[in-house]
Amino acid sequence: MSNVKELIGLEYEPYSFEIEKGKIKELAAAIGDDNPIYQSKEAAQEAGFDDVPIPLTFLQVVDTWGGYSFDEKMKILKLNPVKILHGEQEYEHLLDIYPGDVLTVNSKVIDVKVKKGASGGMDLIKTENRYKNQRGELAAISRNTTVHRH
Amino acid sequence: MFYEDLNVGDSFPVLKKEPITRVQLVKYAGASGDFNPLHTVEEVGEQAGTGLIAHGMLIMGMVSQGVTTWIPRKNVSKLKVRFQKMTKPGEAIEIVGKVLEKHDDNKIVGEVVALNDKGEVKVAGTFEAKLPSKVEQNLVGNQR
Repeated sequence: MSNVKELIGLEYEPYSFEIEKGKIKELAAAIGDDNPIYQSKEAAQEAGFDDVPIPLTFLQVVDTWGGYSFDEKMKILKLNPVKILHGEQEYEHLLDIYPGDVLTVNSKVIDVKVKKGASGGMDLIKTENRYKNQRGELAAISRNTTVHRH
Repeated sequence: MFYEDLNVGDSFPVLKKEPITRVQLVKYAGASGDFNPLHTVEEVGEQAGTGLIAHGMLIMGMVSQGVTTWIPRKNVSKLKVRFQKMTKPGEAIEIVGKVLEKHDDNKIVGEVVALNDKGEVKVAGTFEAKLPSKVEQNLVGNQR
């Protein structure tokens, strides 16, 4: 795109996703995380939770299964998908999130930096997602830096 | 685990993961919803010149596993990483970490790194956790 800085402030249409116990188990299994709190309510309760909690990176599931695919995002941002790298990722958990909770996500581009380099420059596009639960409480925040090589 | 149990500079036990398999990448694609074919379709990997590469988020998931092996999940509030190097099937990832900071409000900040068996850093970052204090525990005990 002509001026990538114009992406700052871009907001995606909000999306929602209901947390499912099976999806939590599936993500933990794919990672090979055998922590019993992701498998059984009893183990989770022993660890101080009301029910099975989500792994720290589970919000990715909410974003991809509930929100936009990679290709859809690239179209919205007008970026070339083959030039993209995942630069940084941050998850901040404010409240416990359990199966049955419905998260609604507001996603917004909060910063764009253009860097020049000897081997060609790059754009660093930072997006912030805010996850509210069905009670309207802010339950988590994530920040993603996408690298777009020139 | 209590706030007093950890000191700045303490290392956590290394979490050694099994080598990443192609089947694991297929499982991670389905679980996460990231179907970028670079992770699962051999020909696409060849065309890209990289071969098949693991999802960066799979490695971050292993980083999360490491952190929540060291500190109970209930106490961990924040995880932030930078993706530094691509990981290929067959590589075995190790998660290492140490305590960087201790704050008065019972918050600890830790470093966490994912590396392969050659010591190449794949993902590096920090986490934050709040731990209960033994002192508070005693105060509550005395009041009873």
